Amino acid sequence: MAETVRLRIKRQLSPDSSPFWEEFEVPMIHGMNVIACLVEIQKNPVTKDGKKTTPVAWECSCLEEVCGACTMIINGRVRQACSALVKDLEQPIVLEPMTKFPVVRDLVVDRQKMFDNLIKVKAWVPIDGTHHMGPGPKIPEPERAIHYELSKCMTCGCCLEVCPQFNEKSDFMGAQIISQVRLFNFHPTGASLKEDRLHALMGKGGVHECGNAQNCVEVCPKEIPLTHSIGEVGRQVTLQALKDWFMK
Amino acid sequence: MTEIAVDRSFFNRRLHSFLGIFPIGLFILEHFFTNSFAVHGATVYNSKIEFFKELPYLLAIETIFIFLPLLFHGIYGLYIVYTGEPNNLQYGYYRNWMYLIQRVTGVILLFFIGWHVYVTRISALLYGTEVSYQYMAKMFTNPVVFWWMVIGVVSAAFHFANGIWSFCIVWGITVGPKAQKRMGWITLGLFVVLAFVGIRALLAFHI
Amino acid sequence: MSDKRVVVVGGGLAGLMTTIRLCEEGIKVDLISIVPVKRSHSVCAQGGINAALDLHGKGDSPYEHYDDTVYGADFLVNQLPVKRMCEKAPEIIYMFDRMGVMFNRTMEGNLDVRAFGGAKFKRTVFAGATTGQQLLYALDEQVRRFTAEGMVKQWIGYDFQRLIVDENGVVHGCIAMNMNTMKPEVFKAQAVVVATGGPGYIFGKSTNSFINTGSVACTCYEQGAKYANGEFIQIHPTAIPGSDKNRLMSESARGEGGRVFTIKDGKRWYFLEEMYPAYGNLVPRDIATRAIFDVCVNQKLGIDGKNMVYLDLSFMDPDYLDRKLGGILEIYEKFVGDDPRKVPMKVFPSVHYSMGGLWVDDDTDMTNLPGLFAAGEVNYQYHGANRLGANSLLSCVYDGFVIGSAMPGYLKEYKEPQDFDALANKHLTEVEKLYEKIYAMDGSENAKKLHEELGVMMTERMTVVRYNDKLEELMGMLDGLMDRWNHIGIHDRSKVLNQEVIFVKDMQKMITLAKVMTKGALLRNESRGAHYKPEFPNRDDENFLKHTIATYTPDGPEISYEPVKIADIPPRPRNYAVDKEETKKMAQKKNEGGK
Repeated sequence: MAETVRLRIKRQLSPDSSPFWEEFEVPMIHGMNVIACLVEIQKNPVTKDGKKTTPVAWECSCLEEVCGACTMIINGRVRQACSALVKDLEQPIVLEPMTKFPVVRDLVVDRQKMFDNLIKVKAWVPIDGTHHMGPGPKIPEPERAIHYELSKCMTCGCCLEVCPQFNEKSDFMGAQIISQVRLFNFHPTGASLKEDRLHALMGKGGVHECGNAQNCVEVCPKEIPLTHSIGEVGRQVTLQALKDWFMK
Repeated sequence: MTEIAVDRSFFNRRLHSFLGIFPIGLFILEHFFTNSFAVHGATVYNSKIEFFKELPYLLAIETIFIFLPLLFHGIYGLYIVYTGEPNNLQYGYYRNWMYLIQRVTGVILLFFIGWHVYVTRISALLYGTEVSYQYMAKMFTNPVVFWWMVIGVVSAAFHFANGIWSFCIVWGITVGPKAQKRMGWITLGLFVVLAFVGIRALLAFHI
Repeated sequence: MSDKRVVVVGGGLAGLMTTIRLCEEGIKVDLISIVPVKRSHSVCAQGGINAALDLHGKGDSPYEHYDDTVYGADFLVNQLPVKRMCEKAPEIIYMFDRMGVMFNRTMEGNLDVRAFGGAKFKRTVFAGATTGQQLLYALDEQVRRFTAEGMVKQWIGYDFQRLIVDENGVVHGCIAMNMNTMKPEVFKAQAVVVATGGPGYIFGKSTNSFINTGSVACTCYEQGAKYANGEFIQIHPTAIPGSDKNRLMSESARGEGGRVFTIKDGKRWYFLEEMYPAYGNLVPRDIATRAIFDVCVNQKLGIDGKNMVYLDLSFMDPDYLDRKLGGILEIYEKFVGDDPRKVPMKVFPSVHYSMGGLWVDDDTDMTNLPGLFAAGEVNYQYHGANRLGANSLLSCVYDGFVIGSAMPGYLKEYKEPQDFDALANKHLTEVEKLYEKIYAMDGSENAKKLHEELGVMMTERMTVVRYNDKLEELMGMLDGLMDRWNHIGIHDRSKVLNQEVIFVKDMQKMITLAKVMTKGALLRNESRGAHYKPEFPNRDDENFLKHTIATYTPDGPEISYEPVKIADIPPRPRNYAVDKEETKKMAQKKNEGGK
């Protein structure tokens, strides 16, 4: 018999139904990743024991680890399914949905909260309009290179999944938001909203709720220096607090 | 121009962080140092104790600079512990373990300091117990008490040293990962030194 | 009169730019997207965006950019829109610059540029090797700002189903389905903009995302919109073949100095440099793809006899590579396991982009259905028979500007239908009927297996080299596939995020669109740009300097032709072995000789 891949998948049919596990066995393909395994299940939605079932739902888009969609927990570790190659994984490959966001179905979770938080901190550069107004501000290349790394954040939520302070008991917004604040506060035009952003981060769920477990930086698939951002924004908030205290 | 109200949690958190170093941390340094006089024997130790007992406004100083900060740091710290959900078995990174140990030692210290203050301060106030070298030495003959003291002292040393590390990030003193790593080594060194000093002082009572 | 309201379908670069421009014109937008907009396929664009800023002071100009684009497109393009796009390009770059895109810079702090295929000037502005992602995020941020202001409402997780179009073909909104509840909902609007990208998923494995089914474009086509130049599918020369999809290895790798070679007689053979001395590794994609295909398939000189050639960066400074190409090196490392800073990469051509798409008006981007606009890859407008690298991001964004300017005029003339609710209900019922049918399907076929077969048959017959007999055969196979579609059995009848049911719907659209592409290819008996028939190896301007126009009929696509509009650049032979100016001189001489 040809080589196969065994999978154990945590499933949930709707947001309020209870989860259950199913096991699958799919044919091995050269260079296979977890996404290809899930496609195989779609082609033949039958469990390992031969029971007919529904195909597993999951989210994906780019499959190149730049969109962040296919984030899930694979063998206990949060990561993107596209870049999880079967040959590097212990079997059965255990797939679970992220735990810090509400499950929609199977491996699909609702991460809208992350996008909403971006509104809270005004994560944009306030330009006057898209009409022609000449070039933007000059930026030294070394500075640009540092902040380019921050702008690669694909809102996948890995940093939040592993953060012990990001949970239902706390409002903490997490590393993703803090790092974006650093990015926009750096930009010469973006800095116009710096105070607003820092005040947002001094509000509910702000940077002060970070517990410095630093898991975020360990799992970030884009290797964004998240703890550096937390330190930097911590400093900015300190200075802002002093300014608020003594100069207003 | 800004509409968002600064949240109470920000003030509380930062106060919690600040009090951990000023005055609690400084007090710990003083406390470990003073108790080290026990190394020179009962007479020297007792004379130092007398010096502190005779400080003017002692109760006020103790209340404002020790008891209240400790109370706030401890109770709010407990709340912080409550808001966290450790995941060390799944993500066993070094810093994640430090995060957990910081919380565990924090909870230990809450009990330890409560007990410690009771036997050395409150019982003195209530029953007029005379706190001295002899009193401590007698207590330490009970191995349970002695080891409980060791746990307390090591916990305090860790919680303070690692707390400095966090403090430096929270306030934006160590910003980059390299600076944080360097501070990690420094505070680890501090922990070892403090633990050594603390245990040596304990041993001085345990003849 | 109520609020001005427009639906934009698709949240990639084109959709977001359109949204922003509409908001600036005071028009409220309902933005419908199947994925959170930050996860749109635009994130996959790597190399950069073209604009003749002449940052190196070598005499580049928008006209040169325009000329390169038209020449690269093998002249199958209406020239005016291209000209306007190239003229607008520098302003577009500056807009992104002001939005805070972290473009690579020079030590003076100015924008850095690099070389790209089909051009002699360095005019590609870039942000590492994730330019599409960076541009998309910048627009996403601006749209978020308009969302916070209440100008935009984002409908994430909604799948477009159908236009609400009246008996005169005027569009008054659309039906979209909330995928979480599988309930179709009515979106009333004075106009609809589709910006749903390309149809690469029809080819199974391509560089496209799984979401690029072309389903929305196909629905518009089925409802009366004309589909133009469907046969022009770009095959990117350098991709990494994978088990689920092929991953792009950006042209910027060659733009920064990467060299393509294979081993011949025990020695490295840099065949592109040898065959095309003027442009070398930076020939346009159709040319490079055919050369690689020829080397591997006809000459059997691929690596170890397989369909692969080397793309080498390993001789370059690793720090330089990280700064300029970090993103794509990472992709290669993660998915292949080798370090391209140390060993040459192994690549092969893959389906990448559709030059064809919904037919739109040159000036307004409106389709032949009044009130239906198309922006980005989903329209046919700027790239003719072959798109130049780093022009796609530009055209996506430029379309947003075109529609932003055209929309207020259209809305001024817009008349509401007499009974919108009745009209909307009619279309809603159609959608409900379709899903009733799909939910009841209990045949023996599996939609994903059909898709796999579709991908294989299309890739084998409709990509680099095309033969009429194979295309005829393909038409029959597609009909067969459509029959089998009716015998699909579904496994999942849930009303919560039923991806299988949605995919069954998309599958029918993909087969329909595949037929449009194939028939266009079958009837075009010439070779032009990406469309190559060995039986007709030359370009035939006399008969085919025309856009293929497909119109929907229940019996399959009906093909007609529309002449290409030439403004400044008379067609001339396309020859990348020599300099572009050389071909102009040669054409002139020939003309004079003819007189």
